This record gives sequence, C-alpha cells and structure tokens, in this order.
Amino acid sequence: MAVPGWLEKVRERAKAALAKPAEHGPDIDVTQFDITTHVDESAAIKAAERAGVSVRVPAFYIQADSAYFNYLSKIPGIEVYRLEEFIEANRDLAKDYVWRLVPPDMDKYTAVAALRGVGGYVIRVKSGVKVEQPVLACLSIVRGGLQAPHNVVIAEEGADVVVYTGCTIAPEAVGLHAAISEFYVMRKAKLKFVMVHGWNAATHVRPRAAALVGEEAEYAYYYANLAAVKTLQASPRTLLKDGARAYSVSVLLGPESAQIDVGSVAVLDGADSAAEIVSRALATARSSITMRALVEARKPARGHIECSGLLMSESANITTVPLLAARHKDASLTHEASIGKLAEEEINYLMAKGLSYEEAVSMLVRGFVTTDIHKYLPEWARQYVESVERLIIQKAL
Amino acid sequence: MTGVRLVVSGVSVAVGGRRLLSGISFSLSDSDILYILGPNGAGKTSLLKALMGVPGYEIVEGTVLLDGEDIRRLSIYERARRGLALAFQIPPRLRGIKAGDLLAQICRKTGCDHREVAKIAGVEHLLDREVCRLSGGESKRVELATVLAQRPRVALIDEPDSGVDVDSLSIIARALRELLNSAAVVVVTHGAHIAKYLTPSKVCVLHFGTLRRCGGAEVIDEVLTRGFSQPA
Repeated sequence: MAVPGWLEKVRERAKAALAKPAEHGPDIDVTQFDITTHVDESAAIKAAERAGVSVRVPAFYIQADSAYFNYLSKIPGIEVYRLEEFIEANRDLAKDYVWRLVPPDMDKYTAVAALRGVGGYVIRVKSGVKVEQPVLACLSIVRGGLQAPHNVVIAEEGADVVVYTGCTIAPEAVGLHAAISEFYVMRKAKLKFVMVHGWNAATHVRPRAAALVGEEAEYAYYYANLAAVKTLQASPRTLLKDGARAYSVSVLLGPESAQIDVGSVAVLDGADSAAEIVSRALATARSSITMRALVEARKPARGHIECSGLLMSESANITTVPLLAARHKDASLTHEASIGKLAEEEINYLMAKGLSYEEAVSMLVRGFVTTDIHKYLPEWARQYVESVERLIIQKAL
Repeated sequence: MTGVRLVVSGVSVAVGGRRLLSGISFSLSDSDILYILGPNGAGKTSLLKALMGVPGYEIVEGTVLLDGEDIRRLSIYERARRGLALAFQIPPRLRGIKAGDLLAQICRKTGCDHREVAKIAGVEHLLDREVCRLSGGESKRVELATVLAQRPRVALIDEPDSGVDVDSLSIIARALRELLNSAAVVVVTHGAHIAKYLTPSKVCVLHFGTLRRCGGAEVIDEVLTRGFSQPA
C-alpha cells in the first residue's frame, strides 16, 4: 500500500535535515552505518533476556537491529504494534501520534530515522485501563549498523501503565542507535516509563524523545545509562498542560572514555503544572559527562532542577548546565547543582560507625544514585530500578 | 565494679596545628557515665572527635587506653571496630540513605537487630526516611541509634540534649541507659538538660582548653548557679 501523504511530507522535511548536526554532542557521519536485515532469532531473544525482557511476559516488544521483530499483548486494554503495522492499520489515527512531538527535521538523527528507520513499538493503553503488569520492550543491536526505530506510547484518558525499555548491543557490534520516542499521556492518565541503556564502547547513541502530558496527567520518567558508550547525546522534551505533573530522572554512568551529553527539557504550558528534573552523573575513568536541564514556565507553574555530579576519577570531567526560563510572573522555578568527589567528612562519619572505607564509599554512592523515582513506581519496577542502581554502583566502584 | 574501659591521661589536642586542649585526664569503667560540661567553643566536640580519631583532630600529647590498648595510632575505623563509638553532634546530611539502611548496615557488622535498636531509640517510624531529611531532634535520635547498633564498649555522645524537645530528652535518656548496660559513656553538654533524666556518675567542667573541676552531680548545680567561669 502507498505511503500516506502525511508521511511523505515527513520524509520531505527529513531530507532537508540529513546533513544538519545536532545542537549538542559530537557530530557523527550517519552514512557510514548500514541497515542490518538479518538476525538469528536465538541471538535476538538472548539479547532481550540480557536486557531483562522475556517473551514469557504478557505484553512485550522485542526488536533486534532492523531485522527481527516479536511482540504481543495479552493484557486486556493494551495493544502492542510494530510501527509500520500501526500506521497501516490506523492510517488516519497514526498521523495524530507519529512525528507529532519530535520534528523529523530536528537534526540528522531524526532525519535518518524518518528516512531509513525500521520498526519501533506502538503501545496503546485504552482509556481507563489501569495495569500494574508492565509492558516490556527491548531494542537491541546484535549485528551492528544503524538502528532507528520509532516508538509511540499512548496512555489514553485515565489510563495507568508502566513501560520498561531496555536497549543493548552485542559486545563485538558497532552501531548507531537513533530511536525516536513519542509519549502521549492523555488527560488524567499516568505513565511510568523506565529506560535502561547498556551499550558498548563503540556505539553512538542519539535517541530523540518528547512527551505530551495532558491535563492533570502524570508522567514519571527514569533513564539510566549503565555501561560503556562511545558517544551519547539526548535531550528529551516534556510539554505539560493544566495541572499536569512530570518527574524526570537521569542517572548517567560514564565509564571508560564515554562522551555523554544528556539533558531534559520541561515546558510548563499549563496552569498549575509542575515538573522536576533530576540528573545524577558518575564520571569514572576518562569519561566526560554534560548534564543539561531546562525548565520553561509559560503559565503559573512550578519547576525544579537538580543536577549532581560525582567525580570518581582524576581524569573524568562533568559539566552541568541548568537553565530556568520564566515567561509568566507567577511561575516559581528553582535549581540546584553540585559537582564534586565524595566528601571525606561523610566517609569518615561512616567509618566511625564501623564501616570499612570500601563499605562507606559504596553506601555513599548508593545514596547518590537513589532518587525519589521509587515513590512513583509499583513494587516490581521499584525492585528493578534498585537492581539497576546496584549495577551502577558496582560498575562505578 | 568491672575493669577500666577508657583511660585518658594528659591528652592535648590540636586542630589545624593549633592546640585547643591540654592536660585532659579521666578514666571510665563499665556503666560509668561522665558528663563533660562546658560553654560553647570550650573544645568539647574537639575532644570527642580526637578520641574517636576523626582526621584533623590530633592528639599531640598524652595517652588514650581503650581496654588497656593505646589507640592513638589507630584509624577511625579501627577504633570503631575495637568498641569506641561517637554520636556526632551534627551528623553529615547523607543524601539518599535511609535511616533503616544505615542502621541495618551497622547491625550487619555487630549482629544486632536494627528494628530492635530503632525501637529503643524511638526511631521505628523514621526507618524509611532519608537521614538528610530528618529534623534536628529526629536526627539526634537516629544518631544515638547508630551508636546503640555499634554495641560499643565506650560511647562518646556529643550534645545529645541540644535542640531537642522534652519528649525526645526522655527517649534519649532511655537509649543512654541501654548503652550503660554494657558500656561506659561520655556525654558532653553545655546545658546539662539530660541530667534531669539521667544522673551522671562523674561530672567535669571543660573551660579554656582544660578540665577545670571534676566531681559528682553537684558540679552541675554549681555550674547552673554560678556559671562556667566561676571557681569551685
């Protein structure tokens, strides 16, 4: 069937941006990455299991490279599609949700995703459906090359859902991951989204994400990078309507020579909306981490940014760039930022309590990576995030 | 009476190269509780930190024997492992660490039940709270609980009665009594409010960098009547 007209227009816009560098992060030559068209099922399933995603759960989406796709939902009220299938089956509806929040001509990575991207999930949670069972997704690069899936999550009015996505790569593969993600949290809906990245030292990662949080809706976002990566640059954007709430956490481990530039943008476009952006960076070895955050208030609303960096090595470096922009006199915006090594005073305190140096440092690092995201998650997701935190601590030390 | 736990003889303490305390001497046996009274800035906290081995608080003269062992060359961790514990006047505001996790971690070392310890210190309801988000009074009680969890032989308690309400004082006294079942205790205080709830076995006044007078509970009344500067 022919490509819908609206998608043709998206592609036209993308073509014009194919050479457009991103605003931040090292510029990558996207043309050097081909699309891999064949992946063994067993390799894809193993990769998914490494990322904590199994085909035995009631709702999942597994994609390896641009070649292997496996997905289903047995949960009433939750639909899981591959993007192309969703567009095919819902040609009119799709244009309201695909490429609506992320512009295809934002930069060369959105452009390459629009023109060469394959797959990605569409998770649609029907109005009023509340489920504790998570929808699990895994996007893995098994053989290498370009992977640019396009993900869409729609939590319809009053829905309540948790979505987990793990992204990983085979140790020997070289790849560029440029996923597009669009989240629609409709009126009074709740979406808890957990994303964990585990790449390798040869991977370039350029995800592009945006969320629309409708009236009185709640959006909790947790992102963790817990492995090596060559370069990683992202800056997800959240737009909040009246009475909406968003809590965004990024925990960034910088191993080896990783160059990481991750930001978050929250636009308070509704009265009485509130957003909190929390970023934690642990820079080890020769890594370089930049944490950006911007909260813009267009209405009477509240926003807070907290950026904290922990330098675990003499050769690592961290930069924080918190920005506040008030466009309304009744907006209340605050930020706090700190970078440093572990405080000797705190280590000594714990050693006075009988903990060894290593135990004291481990406890302080655990405290550093722990955030209030736990309050927003159901029990299984809390436990999962705790296991991610333990992995980060283990790798940071 | 059982054996002598702590013997402090002729101790001088320097902080940042400057001598703050000189000629400090006292000894304690099991179940002894010594109150060291002194005005603000007298060096009470410096004395306790130096005894605990906190870096920057240096014992430059004298000896400190814990169960007969000279501990001056031991690290803060080694002193803790040998049974010395310090309740800090103002504990650092550790981010992301719940009171329950801190107590559990200490109890893993000493074999105690952290919930039982929390109950004695009246902090069961605070176990899920991050220590950096506790109020001053709550923080004092959790800090005392950490010392209980350490099961020390000698406990050094820094200003347990400053900035706390009456209800907290009685709970703190209860925790100190629990400590005294198996340890000797040094309490430094400038107001001696805790004395209403727990009678000391010895009292010394620290002023101008040295212990000026020592005696029984009557010393507290003298200080409250005549102030720290008046001669005995």
